[in-house]
Amino acid sequence: MSLAIATSIGLIGVRGVPIEIEAAIGGGLPRTILVGLPDTALYEARDRCRAAVASSGLAWPAQLVTINLSPASLPKTGSHYDVGIVAAVLAASGVVPAELLPATVFLGELGLDGRLRPVRGLLPALLGARAAGLVRAIVPMPQVGEASLVEGMTVWGARSLADMVEILHGRPVPVSAVSAEDTAPAPENAAPGKDLADVSGQPDARWALEVAAAGRHHVFFHGAPGAGKTLLAERLPGILPELGLGEALEVTAIRSLAGLAVEGLSRRPPLSSPHHSASVASLVGGGPRMPMPGAISVAHRGVLFLDEAPEFSPRALEALRVPLESGEVTLSRAAGQVTYPARFQLVLAANPCPCGYATTPGSECRCTPLTIRRYAERLSGPILDRIDIQQQLRPLRRAYLTDERAEPSAAVAERVRLARERQGWRLAGTPWSTNGEVPGAHLRRDLAPREGTDVLDRAVSRGQLSARGVDKVLRVAWTLCDLAGRDQPSGSDVRTALLMRLGHELSSAV
Amino acid sequence: MDRQTLGKRGEDLAAEYLEGLGWRVVERRWRCAAGEVDLVAVEPGERPVTVFCEVKTRSGLGFGEPLEAITRAKMARLRILAAQWMRERHPRTMSRVDGIGILLRPGWDPLITHVRGIS
Repeated sequence: MSLAIATSIGLIGVRGVPIEIEAAIGGGLPRTILVGLPDTALYEARDRCRAAVASSGLAWPAQLVTINLSPASLPKTGSHYDVGIVAAVLAASGVVPAELLPATVFLGELGLDGRLRPVRGLLPALLGARAAGLVRAIVPMPQVGEASLVEGMTVWGARSLADMVEILHGRPVPVSAVSAEDTAPAPENAAPGKDLADVSGQPDARWALEVAAAGRHHVFFHGAPGAGKTLLAERLPGILPELGLGEALEVTAIRSLAGLAVEGLSRRPPLSSPHHSASVASLVGGGPRMPMPGAISVAHRGVLFLDEAPEFSPRALEALRVPLESGEVTLSRAAGQVTYPARFQLVLAANPCPCGYATTPGSECRCTPLTIRRYAERLSGPILDRIDIQQQLRPLRRAYLTDERAEPSAAVAERVRLARERQGWRLAGTPWSTNGEVPGAHLRRDLAPREGTDVLDRAVSRGQLSARGVDKVLRVAWTLCDLAGRDQPSGSDVRTALLMRLGHELSSAV
Repeated sequence: MDRQTLGKRGEDLAAEYLEGLGWRVVERRWRCAAGEVDLVAVEPGERPVTVFCEVKTRSGLGFGEPLEAITRAKMARLRILAAQWMRERHPRTMSRVDGIGILLRPGWDPLITHVRGIS
């Protein structure tokens, strides 16, 4: 009876937990059994591994091979254990030395020909491995770039099982010339061709977008089709400040888990724009056993853009309410509970009515008043109440198109950056970093404006503004004053913020 | 070599091998209504054991290891046969079922794998 242990990583949400793969050989008829709560895909690893070993010209032990994944109580899922299983079996049968097995983490799926295939969630797995004190990693060659984002680990890329055997023997593996070039971090401006300079006219909406970016406010664009709602919303990530290293790692880890391509660390905030046919599960995350992250988690630290918002199913929209408040989403299954971060900035876009022209002067809207009201009511009060800025877009007039080129994203981004800096100083020592996140109590106690409160009082007494609405107005007022470089919101800031909150015409149209 | 001769040759080799271990082969190809046992031998010692051997012979590895061919159903049948034999002869010993795999590749020395206590 000979035994060897290799280590891989199991993922619970974005948390990586070390999994020990024990292989014991001997004591019965030739057979291979895999125990330790594997799911179907993982149980098939047994057959994949045998075929891969055979086609690499190595021998699978002709004895009873028992493979155990421990801790046995944790449900394990996925195909990335293949490489670790083979490493343990080969070490137990003496084909490779076991010296390197401790403190090395093995990740990769095997092809029947012995090739190492890329796996989902490599980055969070390696972060978990490093936290658990593992110092070396063997990963599929195509993912060396992703793996090298984890500092402080020795990473070996292997193209095939043959490469892995060489590595475990301590012999050098020829590195293909492409890997160094291909895995260089992606260019920082990852949204080419999406510049604000392309948006003609709409000065009010551009200003609303800038304020939303500066204070991280949720924003709602409504207006006639073709006015540029989508165009504007897609350019929001381009004017947001770059992500810090820690934030960028969080974002990239979720991308990796969601199975999206990871080419180096992107400092650009992500944009996630699900189609309005999205299911609840695809939006907030879901799936059997271990749920996958959804669109709101992919938008973590970035922008969630819901175009044609009233067309989304009410259930899908209502599912956003809790993540909007808590900045994370907890999905529970019989097998366990998973929490994914979901701190996103919400951008909604909608037409005023099904035909789209209800608010356009001079055009004929074919909808009845009842239809228009029904359409507006699809966005429920609780969702709209969380929106700080409502902005109407008017259809373009000819004169706008002859304008000289509008201001480019870089100029706007610079103002946004300065405004964020001012917020950072003011909120230093608190858990928040932007105006949009500051809770109402703190806002009213420590950050009450000296001017303009009379306007708010009047709006509240007229029933135009709720208590939560007052907080929203104050947040936007602070952002306006940060953008203007003042120390205190002026009465004019508060009035402007109130108008942005009430969304001029929508309040009268609905 | 056809299937029967290959099997026969394998059983001869297995019997030779067991006698080489000092065991006494008491029965070859014992048949009854339930089926056939390839070899019955007695392992000597302080407490002798009657061992029922299933011999699997292969001329190559194209279809896997010889011993891999012993399925669960085959093992269940071997247990029934062993019990039957013990009832008929009632030797005063314990019993056990072993598997013997023999690889007879042309031009190679025969390779014998012996796994004790397979069921």
